[in-house]
Amino acid sequence: MSVVINLNSPRARKARLSQAIGKIGQNTLIGILILLFVGSIFLGIVYGFRWAFVGGGFTVIFLELILWYVGDLKKLSPEGSSPVDRLSIEVLSLLGKKTSLNPRSVWSAFTGNWQINFLLSHLSLNSDMIGENLSDDEAQFVMDLDTAALLADANNCQQIDVLFVAAAMMQNSKTLEQILPKFKLSQEDIRRVVDLFGRNMSKKIVKHSYGGIGRNWTFGFTPLLDKVGFNLSISIARSNANFGWLMNSVGVKSIESAFISGSKAVVLVGDFGVGKTQSVYAFAQKLIEGNTVDKLAYHEIIMLSATDIASRVRHSGGLERIMIDLFNEAAHASHVILFLDNAQLFLSDAPGSFNAEQILLSIVQSRSVPIILALTSADFQRLKSTNPSLAGLLTPVVLHEMDETGVMRVLEDNALGLESKTKVVITLPALKQVYRLSGRYEQDVAYPGKAIKLLEQSVSFSYNGVVSEDSVEAAVEQTYGVKVSSSSLPEANRLLNLESEIHKRMINQNHAVNAVAAALRRSRAGVNNLRRPIGSFLFLGPTGVGKTELAKALAATYFGAESSLIRLDMSEYAGEGDIVRLLDSGQNKNDSLVLSVRKNPFSVVLLDEIEKAHPTVLNLLLQLLDEGNLTDTNGRATSFKDSIIIATSNALAQSIRVHVANGDNLDNLSESLSDELMNSGQFEPELLNRFDEIVFFRPLNTDELAKVVNLMLNEINQTLSNQNISVTLSEDAIAKIVSEGNDPRLGARPMRRILQRSVENSVANKILEGEVNPGDHISLSATDINFSE
Amino acid sequence: MFLGLFISWWYGPGWRKALVSLKPRLYLLSENLSVKLLLSTLFAPWRRIVTYPGAGLNEKFKAFIDNFFSRFVGFIIRVLVLLMYLVASFVTIIFTGLEIIIWPLLPFIGVLFLVIGII
Repeated sequence: MSVVINLNSPRARKARLSQAIGKIGQNTLIGILILLFVGSIFLGIVYGFRWAFVGGGFTVIFLELILWYVGDLKKLSPEGSSPVDRLSIEVLSLLGKKTSLNPRSVWSAFTGNWQINFLLSHLSLNSDMIGENLSDDEAQFVMDLDTAALLADANNCQQIDVLFVAAAMMQNSKTLEQILPKFKLSQEDIRRVVDLFGRNMSKKIVKHSYGGIGRNWTFGFTPLLDKVGFNLSISIARSNANFGWLMNSVGVKSIESAFISGSKAVVLVGDFGVGKTQSVYAFAQKLIEGNTVDKLAYHEIIMLSATDIASRVRHSGGLERIMIDLFNEAAHASHVILFLDNAQLFLSDAPGSFNAEQILLSIVQSRSVPIILALTSADFQRLKSTNPSLAGLLTPVVLHEMDETGVMRVLEDNALGLESKTKVVITLPALKQVYRLSGRYEQDVAYPGKAIKLLEQSVSFSYNGVVSEDSVEAAVEQTYGVKVSSSSLPEANRLLNLESEIHKRMINQNHAVNAVAAALRRSRAGVNNLRRPIGSFLFLGPTGVGKTELAKALAATYFGAESSLIRLDMSEYAGEGDIVRLLDSGQNKNDSLVLSVRKNPFSVVLLDEIEKAHPTVLNLLLQLLDEGNLTDTNGRATSFKDSIIIATSNALAQSIRVHVANGDNLDNLSESLSDELMNSGQFEPELLNRFDEIVFFRPLNTDELAKVVNLMLNEINQTLSNQNISVTLSEDAIAKIVSEGNDPRLGARPMRRILQRSVENSVANKILEGEVNPGDHISLSATDINFSE
Repeated sequence: MFLGLFISWWYGPGWRKALVSLKPRLYLLSENLSVKLLLSTLFAPWRRIVTYPGAGLNEKFKAFIDNFFSRFVGFIIRVLVLLMYLVASFVTIIFTGLEIIIWPLLPFIGVLFLVIGII
């Protein structure tokens, strides 16, 4: 199948000519035209009419050229409806006189074009990588053009621009379809950037009409409102802001229809960040562009601030006076809608606010001025109970938290505004990260407010003019004081070898280590429930068998530092009232569980001896394991979704000991031990079922304890390495220490104390007595080991 | 090389564009001068500067005079702008008419000027 693009067609030739002339050529032609015109007059005066005609002739010819360029070449309208007839000047000129047109050769011709840069920079992709993975089949390019036409149609563009063709080639490439997921991207993301491009272009092209010269002549003057209030409409018109998608959102349509249907007072009800103020801005844009019914067209929205008004009051009674004057002025002007953002500040006597309920009531009753109030659900409920007459006169428009699609659209609109203001590029993966991280770490504000806030903060962390996922992570780390960067999580390779990493500092307990490692791998691979903690484990077994050590090893290997362990002795939470200490929001200056996790969410939370906690505390644990969050005493939720929860207990210790003494393999007894645990009644079955794994630890045998001694000796040697001294223990010395340190009730726990008493003291004495100098090596045998020292 | 392209546009879409340009030009003019709005508010007070009558006869009379004056000022200014619109529309119609007539002759005019000048 041959490509049906004729690059020698009149349109293609015109495109190349247009590109060659460009903006500079156009200005040069206009300059020459002016010079010729002035020159002909001058020549006519000085040398007579003949020269004037010569100059005039050239002037007319240049005028025709300019008219041709401006009227035809510069825009080059589509000649038909087929994709080829709709190709833009840039596409045609970039293709030049190519004989072979396939996706790969076309991509190569497009490389470096600003639209390609827009596409790639927003997707964080490399041009060479794309080119290598495109087909060299000419028939494929014909199909790509059909897709490009559909993309242009979806964006209300008559011409098929470079970006549409490029995006179509990427979308249709089977190879890229397989590669994109490696970059955390999908075909849908390409379409998203195309959409972003379309909106960016329409934002530049659309010329707003603000009603013409006579618009304000029918409206009154508003000197006081201009001084005290903030005119949203004028600010939008001046800054050319664009609230795009939000203008057609349900919220804005509801406000509009409330006013159209005759309401004079609308109350926007919704949580912080749900988009009350943004919706009013979008409504203001709609009105000032005249994009509404005649009754509302060109009305201006003026926002009043309680703090600003209060600061202008000089004497008692002044507040009422200024409020009445403001409302009268708005009513008289006839084109003003007043907006009371944070309207609760006008409805209470709290500091920074004042109570204007009665004034508002009379204004709303008189229906003399349209008014919009913004209140949280709680404040609106309060108003209903304190002033039901006022609340009853307001038309409520309830704004709900947006879903992901809505938030992403709002973020994209905001990103376009931020890009043109700050000259940075905000990548699509960065926007997705903004959505994800703001949802996870900002619990007090609703979407899209929290996402917009994080996006704005991320711009300060741009690198080389690009706001990437790293910028967003840096902003989160700075703002919330939490570690979220991917570098704080283990690499996949390390995760695959988690068992061997853990065994570098832990002896045996293979079953326990394997169970934990497998659960963590499942989590990292994203096959577990993302709404719950990374992993949750109940470690059971006698004292001194390595339960705490495994928790520490996990903190060190999974989160990179042993300090990422938040350890709570649950015997301290045996009372019902102790629950408050876990959930304290900071007023009592306690470092509660929620505060510790909020500060460092990437942690292992070790709940030691959980059986000693009060049942109320255990119920709280149910919520934590189920929903992945806890709510503090201030009602603020803390996410545990980035934490590993480990609870330890000595339950079944005796039973495990008996099984081990009988030579039973614990690996085969997990099920029966779990049943035994259920039947023991020590824990509620629903709690046990919430854990990802119940892990049984068996007591260590003599050989394993000897290995533990060697591990501990390594730690001693590490300390001594500062003095360049090393210690080794003979086998009989190790056996002696194991025999002394092994306690059936306490497991390996006394071992460290025994080692300190014998080895460390012995070495210390030798150093002090001058028997050992830096660079020396000490070998201790059983005879050197003295536990009485 | 591009002469054919130029001629085909000049006597084709280019001339057609000149022919249909009158309507959008007049529309733009009426939009910028708010003609529709000025007609519907021809007798409205200027910038809504009005005074409200008090209880006494004097105040009522004073308010009547003030409001009459405000409406009069509004009427005069609006009529002036509407007249301006009529003049501008007339000029636009004439200009567009001349453009339609001169357009096909312009390439010849350029050549003719050169011929006259050189000969």
